[in-house]
Amino acid sequence: MVDVALTLVRPLPYADPGTPPLTTPIAYLWWVARRQGALVLAASLTAIGSAVSLAALPYVLGRLVDGGLDEGLSRELLLGCLVLLGVGLVLVVCNVVGHRLEVENWLRAAFRTSQLVGHHVSRTGDAVTSELPTGEVVATVASDSLRVGEVFFTLSRLVGGLVAYVAVAFLLLDSSVTLGVAVLVGLPAVAGVLALIVRPLQRRQAAQREVAGRLTTLGADTVSGLRILRGIGGEEVFAGRYREQSQRVRRAGVRVAQTQSLLDAMQALLPGLFLAAVVWFGARLAITGEITPGQLVTFYGYAAFLTEPLQAATQFIHSLTRALVGVRKILRVLQVPATGAERTDGADGPVGDLVDLDTGVVAPAGRVVALVSADPDETAAIARRMGLLGAENGDRGAQVTLGGVPLSELGLAQVRRRVVVAESTPHLFTGVLRDELDVRGSAGEERVRAALEVADAQDVLDSLPGGLDGEVAEKGRSFSGGQRQRVALARALLTEPEVLVLVEPTSAVDAHTEARIAERLVRLRAGRTTVVVTASPLVLDRVDEVLLVADGAVRARGTHRGLLAPDAGPQGAAYRAVVSRAAADDDAHEDVGHQDAGHQAANREATDHEITEPLEEVELHEAARR
Amino acid sequence: MKLPVADSAALRAHTGMLLRRHRGGLGRVLLLHTLAATAGLAGPWLLGRMVDAVARGTTTSFVDQAVLLLVVAVLTQTVLIRYAQRDAMVLGETVFAELREQFLGTVTRLPLSTVERAGTGDLVARTTNDIDRVQHTIRFGVPRVLVTAATIVLTLAAAIAVSWQVAVALLAGVPLLLVTTRWYLKRAAAGYLRESASYARLNGTITESVEGARTVDALGLGRRRRERVDADLREAFEAESYTLRLRTVLFPGVDVSFVLPVVATVLWGAWLVSTGSATVGAVTTIAVYALQVMHPIGELIYWLDEIQVGATSLARIIGVQAVAPDRVARPENRPADEHVVASAVRYAYREGHDVLHGVDLDLGVGERLAVVGPSGAGKSTLGRMLAGIHPPTGGTVTVGDVPLVDLPLDELRGHVALVTQEHHVFVGTLEQNLRLARPDADDAELRRALAAVDADWVDGLPDGLATEVGSGGLELSPAQAQQVALARLVLLDPHTLVLDEATSLLDPRAARHLERSLSAVLEGRTVVAIAHRLHTAHDADRVAVVDAGRITEIGPHDELVAAGGEYAALWRSWHQE
Repeated sequence: MVDVALTLVRPLPYADPGTPPLTTPIAYLWWVARRQGALVLAASLTAIGSAVSLAALPYVLGRLVDGGLDEGLSRELLLGCLVLLGVGLVLVVCNVVGHRLEVENWLRAAFRTSQLVGHHVSRTGDAVTSELPTGEVVATVASDSLRVGEVFFTLSRLVGGLVAYVAVAFLLLDSSVTLGVAVLVGLPAVAGVLALIVRPLQRRQAAQREVAGRLTTLGADTVSGLRILRGIGGEEVFAGRYREQSQRVRRAGVRVAQTQSLLDAMQALLPGLFLAAVVWFGARLAITGEITPGQLVTFYGYAAFLTEPLQAATQFIHSLTRALVGVRKILRVLQVPATGAERTDGADGPVGDLVDLDTGVVAPAGRVVALVSADPDETAAIARRMGLLGAENGDRGAQVTLGGVPLSELGLAQVRRRVVVAESTPHLFTGVLRDELDVRGSAGEERVRAALEVADAQDVLDSLPGGLDGEVAEKGRSFSGGQRQRVALARALLTEPEVLVLVEPTSAVDAHTEARIAERLVRLRAGRTTVVVTASPLVLDRVDEVLLVADGAVRARGTHRGLLAPDAGPQGAAYRAVVSRAAADDDAHEDVGHQDAGHQAANREATDHEITEPLEEVELHEAARR
Repeated sequence: MKLPVADSAALRAHTGMLLRRHRGGLGRVLLLHTLAATAGLAGPWLLGRMVDAVARGTTTSFVDQAVLLLVVAVLTQTVLIRYAQRDAMVLGETVFAELREQFLGTVTRLPLSTVERAGTGDLVARTTNDIDRVQHTIRFGVPRVLVTAATIVLTLAAAIAVSWQVAVALLAGVPLLLVTTRWYLKRAAAGYLRESASYARLNGTITESVEGARTVDALGLGRRRRERVDADLREAFEAESYTLRLRTVLFPGVDVSFVLPVVATVLWGAWLVSTGSATVGAVTTIAVYALQVMHPIGELIYWLDEIQVGATSLARIIGVQAVAPDRVARPENRPADEHVVASAVRYAYREGHDVLHGVDLDLGVGERLAVVGPSGAGKSTLGRMLAGIHPPTGGTVTVGDVPLVDLPLDELRGHVALVTQEHHVFVGTLEQNLRLARPDADDAELRRALAAVDADWVDGLPDGLATEVGSGGLELSPAQAQQVALARLVLLDPHTLVLDEATSLLDPRAARHLERSLSAVLEGRTVVAIAHRLHTAHDADRVAVVDAGRITEIGPHDELVAAGGEYAALWRSWHQE
């Protein structure tokens, strides 16, 4: 029951964080403020209650000193004590309610901002990394959005403090104009002087933060490379380097201590002297009977109390400045354009061949083809273009057709759904293995296991505690290089797209495994359009058709065995040069390119003729295998 | 494998040791703060005196004297605070520097097998997050706890000195304060740790979304990433709500226990005044003390909280010291030659689950052995045994008849080195990165090593060998980083190398280029190559097929192909010949 009462009214996160203006930091903060206006108002009202009742404590205490304290437990005193207790209780309630409202304000503003950033970076593709370093994007959530929260946290205290300040001003001026003016003018002056001292301190603190940041980097760096240090040597050098930097941080810290302690001393000195002045002046007034002893106590209390509104004001200004800087960084992230892959799209275009018009690469509908090149970068680039993947391919939609329709007409959403490109070094995400494999959430356990089998990745289940329900570590770090690649392959297979494009899917696995994967992969994708970029004979031998690409055009096509056959002619020679080089890893780089250029014309003529060929060849191939 | 965390006894012992070692400095700081707090109590005391004086009727000279006294007290307090704070902060810096340097020293001496198996993620977290968290506690927490504790004790002492009869009323809030604070502190540390863990998770999710932005786009993972962000925020919200609930109990409890003594002082004081056992001034002084002591008590509670959180981090930092060494070097044993032999080697990561079942292997000096086999067969484990990383669970691996694990680490490195797919460029200059392997190498030697691995790009660097590389410096491509790693090996010059998928994390093109650099390093050494490309096997002197923790076939390529076993089948499917 208590728990219910203590729970915040509306839980976070928002179902939809909304669409903020991306023009200026002020506009952004104002937009956030309007979305939680009622909350800000409630927090401010409570803060006023807190501040006023806190201000009332010295007042009531002063009245008690004047009236009744010297007369024992009189009715008046008991009444006064009840008032004191009442004011105290109001303060207690306002404090706790105010704190809850402050925190809720903080959470709503900070979480809305984090959510906006977190959602946006899932829509930008790699445009975000090409515009901003990863660390900067993460910092917008890790610190900048918290700064936005702080503005709303400190805002209500500022409002409460200002109201209390004005209220106290009236009370003081009512008792003694001189004293009132002295307090009201003197305190801001004291605060101003303190603010000046803060400057050099902030400089030294910044200097210390910088050397300390460097120390953290050094420490993390040394530990990240610990395997190398322990394996090769140099631990002493690195421990020594860390010690040196650590001492630099210590010395910077000592410099901060010099200034900081001075500031701390000033914070005792200035208000202390001010207090002494108030007491001196007040006591003289009291002697002449202008004010009562109780009022003297009240003044004393106020001189101490009034530092709070001043602190609230400094805090607010400080947090606002930091937030404006932070929002500027947040806006830079939010301004990165989205890819548009998530806009809703129309009906699917017709099923058919996927064709790259520039190079003439054709992935015939329902067939498994391999792209080979002496330059693996070239084929990888073609593969990415065929799926319009990456910021560099954003405007290439007219150069690729699917079923005769340019991809630009189909729209990116449809392209992503129908054509999936899996790159050779894909990213693995943390999470339960089962979910990380079945990213479209449509495959049952059976199919997940089947996909793992195709990718020959069952060993992952054994090595991961919990198997399919085990947690994948960050970037799949607990897996070996080969395991990571095989898990990523299984994940790509499970998307079951109409067209699947795999870039070097087996470059990091051993030959045994590669042979198994090649066989199972082709069997699984039989009858569905599939493109594999590879130079591995183990894979090339299994696919329906291979296409040799060089210098931006298809130079040869056929089956692996067909092109390697003694009678395969010049195309066969070019193909053999690339494939055997991939196998034997000699250095015929330039030679191959040269050869290719020479046979360009012949290849073009051959193209039409060959398109009819592959089917028969596959059948022959299958027959031969049986 | 998890790294150890210190238990509370070890934590107490370590903290006790730290405090004892800095006993002198700590005592000084405590004394200064006590004196400063004493001076700070003059204000209310003089106020009370003046209230009494005014009531009796007094002269301005009394007021002047009293205020002068107050000014002197403020000045004294100022000077004392200055030195107390300075000394406290300097002490904090010293203790903290000592702690982190000791930690890193321990970490860099961790046993080879621990480093290989535990990975570096946990250690990096301890080096960064935990050190940061402890820093906050030591730098600011310890001095503030000293100040606030001194202030509270002195305020009570002063109140008792003014009038012990009135001061009794100050205790009115104590029971409630103790009960709420105890209730809160029992739960707070876990609550705040959960909070910071939830934010760390959120930051991790954002990092992943950004680093994997291409994959997110390619596979249409956007919605899943957003759901993950929302789930993380929900968890952070729940963690925040929990600690907010704790504070919702704490704050009123503490606040009420602050108001009670003020009211009690006035009531009780009034009665005492009426009986003549106290003056109005004394009651005033103590009432103001009651108001004034609120602040330090609130701050003390805050810090107790933080100190609890800091303690959990400290436990993780000093826990690393509990890792036991994995070998005892016997420097008296000198290897007779460069002949590496494994006999009946068994290994189990978990007791009873052998990964290797008695492997025998005799490496000829200068031989090139390729190890092939399916994933999970134990190839990498065998490689680590041959490189002396882990002491075998059964059997031995020897070099020149001396077990590898009997060699001091410095010497072991000169015999066998393990080259893995991991490469790391350290923050620093390129030459610092190279000299790890041989600190006394001169520039000419460094250049020769780089030339040997084909790293001609170094000549094009703005500052040559002095170019700053690593995070924050010039970013090397994975292939360049791997070349730096290989150049280190040239400098280290071990007679035997174990290569474990050394190029498999590189993109295929870089890998092909790198093999040339690699072959330069392999020249004239005994090489065990855990291969995933069959041509490596083809070029090797012998091929070992590892399956299910055993060597099932071993011999020259041609013999194995002729024998018609598993290797032969694979070779044929790969080469179609």
